[in-house]
Amino acid sequence: MKIWASEHIFNHPWETVTNAAMQKYPNPMNPGVFGVDVLDRSVDTQGRLHSTRLLSTEWGLPAMAKSIIGVTRTCTYVQEHSVVDPKEKTFELKSTNISFTNLVSVDEKLTYKPHPQDPEKTVLTQEALISVKGVSLSSYLESLMAKTISVNASKGREAMEWVIRRLNTEIEELAATARSSIRVPMAAAVADK
Amino acid sequence: MNSVGEACTDLKREYDQCFNRWFAEKFLKGDRSGDPCTETFRKYQRCVQKAIKEKDIPIDGVEFMGPNKDNST
Repeated sequence: MKIWASEHIFNHPWETVTNAAMQKYPNPMNPGVFGVDVLDRSVDTQGRLHSTRLLSTEWGLPAMAKSIIGVTRTCTYVQEHSVVDPKEKTFELKSTNISFTNLVSVDEKLTYKPHPQDPEKTVLTQEALISVKGVSLSSYLESLMAKTISVNASKGREAMEWVIRRLNTEIEELAATARSSIRVPMAAAVADK
Repeated sequence: MNSVGEACTDLKREYDQCFNRWFAEKFLKGDRSGDPCTETFRKYQRCVQKAIKEKDIPIDGVEFMGPNKDNST
């Protein structure tokens, strides 16, 4: 069994990061995720939003690892349960693979919280628990998967920045459209004088 | 982004648009008014659940970091 953990700071406030995280896919850094579906969603009595989502992914194991495990198709499904607490400002996501569960188990947990010293920043803590079962070289494969998770995690953080930029651009474009639609009648009013 | 069920992608996009707007403009700002997307969600769900059954995707019985994760089957 292999445990992997990391911490990262985003230079954006928690609401911006949470909004982006909710819309993380699709993005060019994680092309492996090709489908996202919401299976269930509800707000609990404490005002927290619970969501259960299904992610359809291509895992991207190297060819050699695939032949050791003995699979050719690598389409894997991941089930994710997340909770957004807008009062406490926490966004916690837990995901686990539901494909190939007899071979491998990858559990990931991500938590987004405001930075304790700077409310304009957000801290992401990420952990993964990897377990490969029933094959020799399991600890080698676990290390390989931990490396892949690490690479994907830094792609994931780049992806978050990409989504934040995209959402900000959409807001700016909307504002620019609104400004230009005000400007035309104003210019006409000035010309009339 | 696509849905796992190809036929559900349009319904998914309609629901996502509704949800994303409510989430950013209401929910995250502490507005406790209800989720306006329940009808689009229902339509989308009917389609997705059908696709999941057809593709035999094992969504039940998921245990996160549960006690039996170590056992080989």
